[in-house]
Amino acid sequence: MRDFVWFIPLLPLASSVLLMIASSRLTRRSVALLGVGSVGLAAVLTGAVALEFLSDSTPVEVTLWTWMKIDSLAPRISFYIDGLTLVMMCVITGVGFLIHLFSSEFMQDDDSYARYFAYLNMFIAAMLILVLADNLLLLYLGWEGVGVCSYLLVGFWYRDSANGRAARKAFIVTRIGDTAMLIGLLLLLTELGTLNIRTLMQVASEQWSIGDSLPTIACLLLLGGAIGKSAQFPLHTWLPDAMAGPTPVSALIHAATMVTAGVYLIARTHDLFLLSPSAMHTVAFIGIATSLMAAGTALVQSDIKRILAYSTISQIGYMFLALGVGAWTAGVFHLMTHAFFKALLFLGSGAIIHCLHHEHNIFKMGGLRTRMPITFWSFLIGSAALAALPMTAGFFSKDLILLQAYQRPDFGPWLWGAGLLGALITAIYSFRLVFIVFFGDAKTEPDREIGWQMALPLTVLCALSIIGGYFSLPLADVFPLVNAEHPPHWVEIISISVPLLGVFLAYIGFYGQRPRIDSWTKTPLVQRVGQFLRSGWRLDEVFDRIAVKPYYNLANALQNEPIDRFYEAIVRLNQAIHRHLSATQSGRMRWYITSMMVGLIATLGVAMKIAPGAI
Amino acid sequence: MNSDQLLVLSPIISLSLTALILMIQASIKRDHRIAWWISTLGLLTTLLSIYSASNFSQDVGPLLKVDAWGLWFSALLIFCALITLALSRDIFHTQADTKEEYYLLLILSTLGAVVLVQAAHTASLLLGMELMGIALYAMIAFPKSGDLPLEAAVKYLVLSACASAMLLFGFALLYGATGDLSFAGMGAKAASGYLNNPLLVLAGAAIVLAGMGFKLSLVPFHMWTPDVYQGAPTAVTTFLATLSKGAMFVAMVRLILDGQLYRYESLMNALSVVAVASMLVGNWLALRQQQIKRLIAYSSTAHFGYLLVAIIALPHLGDTQQLGRAAISFYLVAYIVTTLAALTVIANVGGEEDSDMQAFDGLFWRHPAQAITLAVAMLSFAGIPLTAGFMGKFYLITLTLNAQLWLLLGTLMIGSAIAIYYYLRVIFTMSAEPHQLNKGSPTVLGWRNPVALLLMLAVLAIGSWPQPLIDLIGRL
Repeated sequence: MRDFVWFIPLLPLASSVLLMIASSRLTRRSVALLGVGSVGLAAVLTGAVALEFLSDSTPVEVTLWTWMKIDSLAPRISFYIDGLTLVMMCVITGVGFLIHLFSSEFMQDDDSYARYFAYLNMFIAAMLILVLADNLLLLYLGWEGVGVCSYLLVGFWYRDSANGRAARKAFIVTRIGDTAMLIGLLLLLTELGTLNIRTLMQVASEQWSIGDSLPTIACLLLLGGAIGKSAQFPLHTWLPDAMAGPTPVSALIHAATMVTAGVYLIARTHDLFLLSPSAMHTVAFIGIATSLMAAGTALVQSDIKRILAYSTISQIGYMFLALGVGAWTAGVFHLMTHAFFKALLFLGSGAIIHCLHHEHNIFKMGGLRTRMPITFWSFLIGSAALAALPMTAGFFSKDLILLQAYQRPDFGPWLWGAGLLGALITAIYSFRLVFIVFFGDAKTEPDREIGWQMALPLTVLCALSIIGGYFSLPLADVFPLVNAEHPPHWVEIISISVPLLGVFLAYIGFYGQRPRIDSWTKTPLVQRVGQFLRSGWRLDEVFDRIAVKPYYNLANALQNEPIDRFYEAIVRLNQAIHRHLSATQSGRMRWYITSMMVGLIATLGVAMKIAPGAI
Repeated sequence: MNSDQLLVLSPIISLSLTALILMIQASIKRDHRIAWWISTLGLLTTLLSIYSASNFSQDVGPLLKVDAWGLWFSALLIFCALITLALSRDIFHTQADTKEEYYLLLILSTLGAVVLVQAAHTASLLLGMELMGIALYAMIAFPKSGDLPLEAAVKYLVLSACASAMLLFGFALLYGATGDLSFAGMGAKAASGYLNNPLLVLAGAAIVLAGMGFKLSLVPFHMWTPDVYQGAPTAVTTFLATLSKGAMFVAMVRLILDGQLYRYESLMNALSVVAVASMLVGNWLALRQQQIKRLIAYSSTAHFGYLLVAIIALPHLGDTQQLGRAAISFYLVAYIVTTLAALTVIANVGGEEDSDMQAFDGLFWRHPAQAITLAVAMLSFAGIPLTAGFMGKFYLITLTLNAQLWLLLGTLMIGSAIAIYYYLRVIFTMSAEPHQLNKGSPTVLGWRNPVALLLMLAVLAIGSWPQPLIDLIGRL
């Protein structure tokens, strides 16, 4: 069974190609069947592989062929499956299938139905290649593949130029990270002579010792790629704009799968990161800082998708925190539960947007509790999991991260405290969302009910968001054991109670007529802080000023660069010579004969000049 | 004459017999279809006889030297003649009442070319050249409509006469210095002749090479080329550009090698000047040329300039002379096949006289097969990888590098760089929006398509899988 694992990425890839070629000849029904069915089948196969893996958990390597062979570099098209890969595959195909199903109704009225599924299937294929890859070059192929699909899907409604801009921003900003990553790959290749991940890890631990500068540089370069793809500070600015794509796309790519690729990369290369404590610290601090920043921004947004986008950035920050403190399993665990509840929240918001004539502003919603019951319950469960209320999936994973952070000898308690503050804000903004959208007076009436294709994924994801916390991941063989000592009880009690406090604060602030908060927010200071937060800490502006504008200016300056003048002069010189020579082709025979004779005399002249070295 | 000699002469005999049969046929029943078939069969028979002769290498009398090299090029020339035949089949339908003579002329001209590539003596060289040339004048002027063919024929005739006169005078001077007229004899005696009368040898050789340079349209003897290329029917242009020039070049290589002319440094200097001038002027003249046949004419000047570099490099090579011969052979094959492909398309699309670039506007949409063939030919001329031209140029540059001729190498590079501009211009024209006048697709006769296709495949095959040809040439 596991030998045929290459079939899993092939299915969506084949379907994607088919949809691209035959899109005009397929009915909507068959497009949906093909698009959703291929991913469904991939999910079933993944399930079968997973079942087999539970009984026999030895990692498997499947080599298809050697891509090319140049000197010592011989990257193979080869897949490697261990517990980590399997978890990722289950998330990608499982959640991916649910989102595909949801999309089949959500995109119903769109003209480019087939194009949508072609891109979405291609994304699944690329993402699977990313996690299955057994060497970093193939991983990079998947890495760039998902980037391209993200670009295509963010700009899916390309007729609106704002969407195109958002797509370009997403692509270019992540490319900055990717470039760092590519340099990192080349560094590893030149230093260690291979790109095969397992060999690489082994050689790295043998050749380098903890604290060397080379592993730190390599780790930081890989981290550059990871923060670009996973939208971490300072390369996170693309993610809120990427919400310009269709909502299921946001759920799949910008919440559940692609943005967690950075987490996967670091988890996959953890042996390398273990060699560099300073890189680990960097990961942890970037994670916690991003988490707090994004949570603060999410608190004041009014666009439902932007709230969720900042929330995603913030939650991935937690995963980075987990990786940075060495809590690998906790990080991957949070990756999975986050995929469940964030996909749920995005799909819920998609349902709202779908039924409310593409309304994104939460202040124009309200009172949807009775009008859209399924969506309400999904959102409630999703928000509870996001806020990490006890017994939800998010609780288990986030709690694990915070407790393990606390146990770090050096900055442990500080990281824990900051994480708690983030959890508090998370609880506040997620329930602010729930209270504003689903309670109070109705401001916009939904114009339709959601059908089963949308209701079913919501229901399944609800269930996963609750029971997902009880899954035990087969990661014991993948990651080194972490310190299992139990922290003091008061730490745990505080960890549990902080989210509840957050919900309570949200209730005071945003439930009902909210007189208190309204009067409070009128003060100029709060207004200004709110404005600052809403703009995402003005980072877009800063980047615009330090990177985008100078780049444009440079480009403008180079447009008329002097070096071009030189080449233009060559062109003009050649054209002038051509003109003058053409004039000699007069068509007159006497002139031709004359030139022949002159030529002959000249040849004679050169030839008869007796050279000393002749004979 | 023994039987082996008869066997190695069989290509020449076969061609002569074909010519005779054609004459007899014309006196019995005048039908150009029958004449076409006779010519085709005659050429195919000749190819067979070349194959059967290919195991022998023999001097036949003092005049001819039949060796693998000569036979290989004879085969190539017959191939050119066959393509020309294919292109000629229906061009004179409306233009002339009597068409059979055309095929007779074509066969005679081919016979001249085959003699030329096997010439080992000044007499056979002149004989072959004149036989080839005189038949060609008539072929150029064959269409009776329009002034252009006649003008082209007269120009070519008069200027050729001039060149032949140069050649004869040069041979006379060489004979005066050495007392021998065979290449090998001249080569052997030139050394002592040079000591007695150096100016006589140098002047003679220079004048002979100038006369040959005229046939190869090397600068400054190139002026006739565009006028004749443009004025001649495209099929005849094809014949002239491939068969006539190819044969002449082979004869020139033989003369220089067997006659040991390469030993005179100042003579090689003169050739270098001619090569540099040809590479630069040829490309410059083609730069913004609007008539595609003129463009091919100028580009041929440049290409023979490149080939001249190989000859100049030969004496500098020492042990690797074999590489030099291989490079020349390979480049010549690549150039001939590419030219055949290009001119076939031009004949198909541009018609017989009109070769304005406008006729090729948007050809990619109007007739993709022809357009792709022409594009491949242009890329091959330009020396883009995966085409025959690239391999040829690669060989040539390696050779020049080995010989350390930096000036020539630099000029070769610059010339090639300039050339890319006008070759790509043709491709751009074909990919542009179709011109208003050319909305429809050109009618290409069914059996001309496979000819173009075959040539395109040959260009690509030689470029992407050159090893068989390299092996073949290496054995020559």
